[in-house]
Amino acid sequence: MTTAPMTSSPLVATAEPVRRSAARGRWLSVLRTPVGAGAGLLLALVLLLAVFAPLLWRDDADTIDTESVLQGASGQHWVGTDNLGRDLLFRVLVATRLSIGLALVATLIAVVVGLVLGTAPLLLGRRGGRLVTAGVNIAVAFPGLLLALFFAVVFGVGMTGAVLAIGFAGAPSFARLTQTLAAGIADRDFVAAARIAGVGRTRLLLRHVLPNIGEPLVVNATIGAGGALLSFAGLSFLGLGVQAPSYDWGRLLQDGLSGIYIHPEAALAPGVAIVVAGLAFNLFGEAVAKGIGLTTTLSGTATTASRRRETVPAEVVDDGRPVTDPGLVQGRPVLDVQDLSVAFQGPDGPVRPVRGVSFRIGRGEAVGVVGESGSGKSLTALAIARLVERPGEVTAERLEFMGTDVLSGTDRTHRRLLGTAFAMVFQDPMTSFNPTRRIGRQLAEVAEQHQGMSRKIALARAVDRLRAVRVPAAERRAHQYPHEFSGGMRQRAMIGMGLMGEPKLIVADEPTTALDVTVQRQVLDLLASVRAADDVALLLISHDVAVVGQVCDRVLVMYAGRVVEDLPAAELTTGARHPYTRALVATVPDMHIDLDRPLPVIPGRPVDPAHQPPGCAYAPRCPLASARCVEEDPALVDDGSGRRVACWHAGEIAADLEVPGAAPVALISGERA
Amino acid sequence: MSELRFSDVSVRYGNRRRGMTAVDGVSLTVPDGAVVGLVGESGSGKSTLARAAVGLTPLSGGEILLDDRPLRHTAGPRPVQMVFQDPYSSLDPRMTIGDSIAEAVPRGTRSADRRTEVARLLELVELDPSRSVAYPGQLSGGQRQRVALARALAARPEVIIADEITSALDVSIQGTVLNLVRRLQAELGTSMLFISHNLAVVRYVASEIAVMYLGRIVEHGPTAEVLADPQHPYTRDLLAAVPDSTPGRPAAVAADPALAAVAAAEPADPHAPPPGCRYHPRCPIGPLVHADREICRTTEPGTDHRHAAACHFAPAGRSLLTIAD
Repeated sequence: MTTAPMTSSPLVATAEPVRRSAARGRWLSVLRTPVGAGAGLLLALVLLLAVFAPLLWRDDADTIDTESVLQGASGQHWVGTDNLGRDLLFRVLVATRLSIGLALVATLIAVVVGLVLGTAPLLLGRRGGRLVTAGVNIAVAFPGLLLALFFAVVFGVGMTGAVLAIGFAGAPSFARLTQTLAAGIADRDFVAAARIAGVGRTRLLLRHVLPNIGEPLVVNATIGAGGALLSFAGLSFLGLGVQAPSYDWGRLLQDGLSGIYIHPEAALAPGVAIVVAGLAFNLFGEAVAKGIGLTTTLSGTATTASRRRETVPAEVVDDGRPVTDPGLVQGRPVLDVQDLSVAFQGPDGPVRPVRGVSFRIGRGEAVGVVGESGSGKSLTALAIARLVERPGEVTAERLEFMGTDVLSGTDRTHRRLLGTAFAMVFQDPMTSFNPTRRIGRQLAEVAEQHQGMSRKIALARAVDRLRAVRVPAAERRAHQYPHEFSGGMRQRAMIGMGLMGEPKLIVADEPTTALDVTVQRQVLDLLASVRAADDVALLLISHDVAVVGQVCDRVLVMYAGRVVEDLPAAELTTGARHPYTRALVATVPDMHIDLDRPLPVIPGRPVDPAHQPPGCAYAPRCPLASARCVEEDPALVDDGSGRRVACWHAGEIAADLEVPGAAPVALISGERA
Repeated sequence: MSELRFSDVSVRYGNRRRGMTAVDGVSLTVPDGAVVGLVGESGSGKSTLARAAVGLTPLSGGEILLDDRPLRHTAGPRPVQMVFQDPYSSLDPRMTIGDSIAEAVPRGTRSADRRTEVARLLELVELDPSRSVAYPGQLSGGQRQRVALARALAARPEVIIADEITSALDVSIQGTVLNLVRRLQAELGTSMLFISHNLAVVRYVASEIAVMYLGRIVEHGPTAEVLADPQHPYTRDLLAAVPDSTPGRPAAVAADPALAAVAAAEPADPHAPPPGCRYHPRCPIGPLVHADREICRTTEPGTDHRHAAACHFAPAGRSLLTIAD
């Protein structure tokens, strides 16, 4: 979770401090996790040792005592002495500074060189950039040890050569990471916008690119420091690093190794030090990466995705929850939903983006669900299909599909029932197919799984179903991969997949939103003809009132997780009684809209599910709202003819058909802050 | 005076052997103070044309002229500014909206003036100037799109290109942005190229309409005329596809198998545009339906029709030419 999104009108003036503290909070929350706290503590200890150990114990470590040469552990020398009788514990402690210091210097070289190389493509432009990228690509493949040996030859065996070697050996991978991250940011629209606004390349890099890739880079540098520490110990151990009389852990390890059978402590102590320090760096990097790395860059996307999981004041939860009438349906309903709710556990108590939704769908009936984004319409569909994942919790008084309770009972029976009699079509047909498998096989799999068909018969049926959804050259296309299908064709194939069984209900969640208008019409026509041919019921979820009005018999209008009106689609434009429905219909620009008047809009913004008001959720945006609306949530009531509406002022100002439901004040400055 | 003219503009991606021509010889004029709507399906090249106009994509042929002078993309704010489709990615999440807008204010402005300019622009797009310290994450989609508009205006552009600026927004919010665009356009008189796939939206905003298909402009004329009397079959197809909230539309699947095949045809692949008229594999008045119209498969249509419709069989055809002129 990133900055406080969507809820911030009182935060206006304090926006900056809020954000700063949010960033700080994120770092603090990293330290609060067990791994983060442990790693942080360990790292702090190692760094403190690096600073203070030489000041405190250098003399002890350098005292030569020929009386006690190469001794084992004793009360006087806890891990023994070396060949000059120097205390090994003190030597290990004192060596911390050199070991850590060299590792940090090497990391610094790697980071600086890496940053320069990694951002060069942005600064140099196309041709120069390509050259640098190619160079880095070659360098990444170059083995680090070879580089170290090479530098050892150039600078002579010793610290300088080793530091440079490890620094330069680490640079290419860091450059590569920077390049990848920077290229990802540079492709984004805000960078393009800045370029159009005349922002130069350097400024672009410093102000737009680096701040947005900073956190993952810091995390990687931390982990890189751990790696550098290990490599350095390795080089010293091989005799390519620190030379006597200086000593670091690798050097001590090498000295101790000769006597490992006599007194192993001498080799173990520096070994343990290397492991501990390496762990401290790596774990800290990992903990930070887990805590902030994933949520860093993009508040935009994160906000939309996490909006429904925001917090809720606990007292609202079970307040004023009207038991609603599910409405009438002739014969036995295909789907019977009563008082369906979906809750997520927020930090301050449960959040309920779907609150007490009730409706029935009859055989062959087409029901549309409309509402703004965040109204809970998609979540309702997912809950019906039992696709709400933990930690989401679905509750309902009744959730019956074809007379079978799908809320309780085992998963297997549901899977069978849902697999054969239920079809789901999602918004993005690209992500709903597995890109690595042929379309035909993916369709056939359904029949193999649920109807026990053989591979061959299932594939034949898949081809037949593709033909049924009017995929041209179905035989050939069944052998193609999803990426070879256009968006509209993929959506057809998706519908075809639903038709592999004998569906009684198709749930389509925004099936045409990602498609062009001409293709949209084709898919809608297809849904209509499938429905007519096999008497399949349809639940069509869309933000577009026009689409729903065109395809469906009945429309459910959702607002803030609740059905606020249920009416025949034919009456959408003329007979809507809820002010929200009227406003929703009025805001769709059609080909007859008056060009001389401003477009009607719905003022304000949708309710944050985390902060549901006690009264009618639409009241703050409603031109008809009265004191009662603010205090009491109206129940969804049936007027006897199957139409349901939840509004204290249902049907008022019906005469004003020109801009139904939208007050004139709201026309221009809709959501002015 | 600021007239943006695309003159025989082509944009090609990729190399010679495996590339695609996203924009193919497009000539289009955005007259001074006018709003030209550009419609077409995805892959038709409308966004590429927009990116070319602001210098984000290099041209491979033709030129873009601003007031008869070739457009140069030198340092400093460019005279052609663009508003992007997705307000969630077009603002830097790490920058306050005030800073984002200020960045586009021409250089050499003192910082105090910059601040008043930012406040003025926020005021102009109907946002509270005190919100300039807010981060994009704290704003709704509609508000972000206003900020994006303010940023475009900050550069004092002569032409604004709006690329699908409402399609990422909820319908209920869309109206506020469109109303704002209309008001600003009326007040400031900025020329504008307004790209959208929604004909109803274009009709509301634009005075002229240009229809693009597979990298070419296939029809262009005054909005009211094009919508009332479309000449190119593709334009008619687009118009027929606009969802109407009046229910009970008869099923479009025609009894004639040829027409049904056309109605179910896939959009063409921009990587391999068909020869002749590019619309012929989907055309309801083309060779698929009328067997004698082989010319569509072989010959590219001229544009000497009403609305410059690029069709051999534009219905009103040449007979109406006199009225058009």
